[in-house]
Amino acid sequence: MQGSKIDVRTKLAIVLCLSSAGVFLQHVYILIALMVLTIILALAFKADLRKAMRSTKRLWYILIAIVILQSIFIRSDDAIFAIKGFEILTVTGLIKGAEFFLRVSIVIFSATIVATSNYRQIIQGLVQLKVPYDIAFMVSIAIRFLPLLKDEISQTLVAIQLRGLDLKKIKISQRLKVYYYIFTPVVAGVLKKAHELSMAMETRAYRAYQERTSYLILKIKAIDYLIIIAALLITTALFIMFYVFKFPGRLI
Amino acid sequence: MSFISIKGVSYSYDKGREVFSGLDLEIARSGMTAIMGPNGSGKTTLTKLILGILRPDSGRIFLDGDDIGDMSLGQIGCLLGYLFQNPELQIFANSVFEDLSFVLKLKGLTDDVIGQRIDSILSRFNLDEYRDSSPFNLSFGEKQRLAIAGILVNEPSYLILDEPTTGLDFKRKDELGQVLKELMDEGKGITVITHDREFVDDFDAEIVLLSKEGRICRDQK
Repeated sequence: MQGSKIDVRTKLAIVLCLSSAGVFLQHVYILIALMVLTIILALAFKADLRKAMRSTKRLWYILIAIVILQSIFIRSDDAIFAIKGFEILTVTGLIKGAEFFLRVSIVIFSATIVATSNYRQIIQGLVQLKVPYDIAFMVSIAIRFLPLLKDEISQTLVAIQLRGLDLKKIKISQRLKVYYYIFTPVVAGVLKKAHELSMAMETRAYRAYQERTSYLILKIKAIDYLIIIAALLITTALFIMFYVFKFPGRLI
Repeated sequence: MSFISIKGVSYSYDKGREVFSGLDLEIARSGMTAIMGPNGSGKTTLTKLILGILRPDSGRIFLDGDDIGDMSLGQIGCLLGYLFQNPELQIFANSVFEDLSFVLKLKGLTDDVIGQRIDSILSRFNLDEYRDSSPFNLSFGEKQRLAIAGILVNEPSYLILDEPTTGLDFKRKDELGQVLKELMDEGKGITVITHDREFVDDFDAEIVLLSKEGRICRDQK
């Protein structure tokens, strides 16, 4: 499948189907199948999964920590490990933890499918889906500025350490104060950039006319319709199977 | 004896472009060293390697005899003060006084010592009147002076300034030059990354000229 040749609206439909199924179908077997499907689709669209993993590295650590906490704190009668009657780890806790991990992974990996289109195509796709241009433009700005924001935070973190602060050697309460000081220049920078961007937009006659025209017009093809229909049918079938026929049955 | 010693350093960007290959450079403990060269020659990359922000692919960098590979950014920051091209990255608090004092407080210095140190640095950089003002409302030149004050309040042995004269008018450039001369007279060594030959000529600086390929073309007074 040529990722770049598929319309961005088709990709949005696939992501919507995968993430909805991931959120609403709370069964570990279904989630595992959805996860495998998401990875296959992402690879088929030539999404850069390694880059996505690298750029969300910290998020994965937080996710794993939440999974561990969730596994420990969910109480049930099926303890795997207990100390003096106090349950540390239960089967239910493990399954719920795994479900949470899979659900978030599906959302993250499915988002990489949309990322195979450039931000101009994403705006145009949203506009042609009748999303108001202002909203679509805001989404595109968020996509465009997130990496810059990340760079700015890491530069500020470096700058504060170069003031002679060894973050590893200070107390956690003090470290929280340091994070407050890191966000001051970042927030100031964001406000300044937003102001400059709005000035730049004004100078290029943003909103000068009621109607906007676009050089880029996306054309949806037969293959796109086929993929969208298949995605919607499979998702609907999964929902009916899970909620009407109660398949697969409850594990716990 | 050199303060910064670069031995056989090679560095490539993620995309594979090699910036330095087996670079050797010694930078003196005192006086001024100017790193010059065309855009893309690796001037800022070289300083990021010296500061430990980037790690070399091979080779070692020593600061005052210690391998920076074994040092944290905080430890390097105690020895080296670094002025970013954009001084706004180095402003962290909502008042000038707080911006200069918070690191000292976190390091556990007493209020008396902090007060004395900040009073002296504010007067040195003509920032007394802005003591309680928001640093974000200062002019570019004032922000830059505040950023240098923020570095010096930690009393580092050596300073690295990245394009310090960009955006400064003649008067501010002269004032900056005066401050740098005073610091050099106090025995602090300074490395300046710059395109401003006229500025460094005033200091009898050692010039390190980098070629587009990241090689040292010239190393002379």
